[in-house]
Amino acid sequence: MRPILLSGHERALTQVKFSKEGDFIFSVSKDHNVCAWYSANGERFGMYKGHQGALWSVDVDPTTTFLATGGADNTMRLWEVKTGKQLKQWEFPTSIRRVEFSEDGKLLLGVTEKRTGQLSNIYVYDIAQDVNAEQSDEPTLRIVVDELPRVTVAGFSYLNRYIITGHENGCVAQWDAKTGEMIADEYPHEDGASVTDLQWSADRTYFITSSKDKTAKLQDARTLKVLHTYVADTPLNSAAITPEPTNYVILGGGQAAMDVTTTSARQGKFEARFYHKIFEEEVGRVRGHFGPLNYVAVSPDGKCYCSGGEDGYVRVHHFDPPYFDFKYEVEREMQGHMNRRMEQEL
Amino acid sequence: MAANVQNTPGRTDWAEDDEPDLATALPPPQITKNKDGTETVVTVFINEEGKRVKRTQRIRRTVVKKKENPRVAERRAWPKMGPEAGKPVGPRPDTTTLGENIIFRPQMGFKSGQVQEKAPDEERKAELQKKMQIKCRICQGDHFTTKCPFKDTMAPEGEAAGAPSDLDDRMGGDTGGAGGGGGGVGGSYVPPHLRKGAAGSGERMGGGKFERDDLATLRVTNVSEFAEEQDLREIFERWGRVTRVFLAKDRETGRAKGFAFVSYADRSDAARACEKVDGYGFGHLILKVEFAKKAT
Repeated sequence: MRPILLSGHERALTQVKFSKEGDFIFSVSKDHNVCAWYSANGERFGMYKGHQGALWSVDVDPTTTFLATGGADNTMRLWEVKTGKQLKQWEFPTSIRRVEFSEDGKLLLGVTEKRTGQLSNIYVYDIAQDVNAEQSDEPTLRIVVDELPRVTVAGFSYLNRYIITGHENGCVAQWDAKTGEMIADEYPHEDGASVTDLQWSADRTYFITSSKDKTAKLQDARTLKVLHTYVADTPLNSAAITPEPTNYVILGGGQAAMDVTTTSARQGKFEARFYHKIFEEEVGRVRGHFGPLNYVAVSPDGKCYCSGGEDGYVRVHHFDPPYFDFKYEVEREMQGHMNRRMEQEL
Repeated sequence: MAANVQNTPGRTDWAEDDEPDLATALPPPQITKNKDGTETVVTVFINEEGKRVKRTQRIRRTVVKKKENPRVAERRAWPKMGPEAGKPVGPRPDTTTLGENIIFRPQMGFKSGQVQEKAPDEERKAELQKKMQIKCRICQGDHFTTKCPFKDTMAPEGEAAGAPSDLDDRMGGDTGGAGGGGGGVGGSYVPPHLRKGAAGSGERMGGGKFERDDLATLRVTNVSEFAEEQDLREIFERWGRVTRVFLAKDRETGRAKGFAFVSYADRSDAARACEKVDGYGFGHLILKVEFAKKAT
């Protein structure tokens, strides 16, 4: 496969996201800009300008109508994807670390950073499903996180039932998305190793968290039980789950930029790592970035993935047939078994 | 023509009339349908240097049907916005580039540092080496003829019939008929050039060196005397890997004598090239290509 290199940013990428159909890629970086790209050929659709600080997070709603961004200028903004018009701007006392739409696109979540005198807050807003409608100023839910350390990542589970948060000390907590009460907290990652990313499976019943402790964990959204553990040899910044029918997880990471001295690209481990989702075994790597991978995202149709790096590039990879054909022996046997049963029933 | 002059009062000199028109008048592209479903398009146009160029293209039209989500199709038609507004459709080279090819195939028991990618060149070479069969001309073993353990005792195949009698004649029965094959085995000393394996080797000094790739060597004749080896290489490289191009040149003038030899790594490539290039117009002459005959 020949990766497509997108060089629309001047500084490190912080997050990249696919639209639901996988045709658009949205990227945010520390250079205050948001870019939209067509994933098929890497053509830039446009930019969303207005932020005054580094951007930390971006998300797009399931209809690819609204785009939400948040960053270090203490604002969260809502944009119209098609025209690039800013529809709404919410201001906060501290910077926004994470934004995410719910599965149905009707709720938007923003996480504020903990700083002197300010606790981490999770704000949830109702989004009016009309481009021309006035969006509400007041959040429908505000969770003040006082018992746990700083929130780094957060997201809505299936049916907007829970909000799952990842914390600076490796903790993963579950909150009721209606009342804002904390239901449970687990410590899947090493104490003190920050949770760096949280991404959902296609049906949002389980998720994967990556951490600086060099592991990624697949967890159940209802029980927070750790289903699988993927061990890497470098601190991880991001982890993604590929959709059916492939069974992979993609991990991205690498030595932090500040720790890199004169290491070669190979030693820095700036590669996307592919693990088998069930067998937890590494099956391959894709190299290319000159710096750590800050985010990896998989297209919801499973046909391509992209990674945003500290080097300022987004690399879009469209998978080749071997990626789809690869199966373990047991998987093949199971497939054969199922086929035979189908025939018998017919 | 008089009317023409009157209609264009800006013109003063009648000599200018019509000439530029003649030069710029380009015939419309001619499209002819071929039997095999392709189309031949002949276009005449003027290139950047202002020269008239005739271009003949053979085109095959294929219809590729693709299903697309209507929402995706709609979004694809959206006008670009922001700094991209008004720019033509398609990726811009300043923001979008293609990276080098990455071979990614998942495998069980992957270990980092393991060489997963091999340069395509190397793969090809390895393949070629596998294909290349080394065969000894003396004993048919898989080694070079010069390395053959029997090279002093046996003649190469094909010469075996002629050699013994030849040798016997020359030796004049010095050694017994039975010991005729035993150059180094028994009996008195036999000089190397009289031994069986070396029979007649003196005559073949020049040819012997290239004999091994005779199979894939083409003889090209009717080559223009201004041709260079590089030109020939360019022509012949289209059909496969060329290992050697030899263009006979006059020692004094440095011009080509009119014939050349081209060796391929693979005989099938050579056969294809022979078929295709024979009759190809190069310079002002038509090339004649045939398989080189054994040098004798």
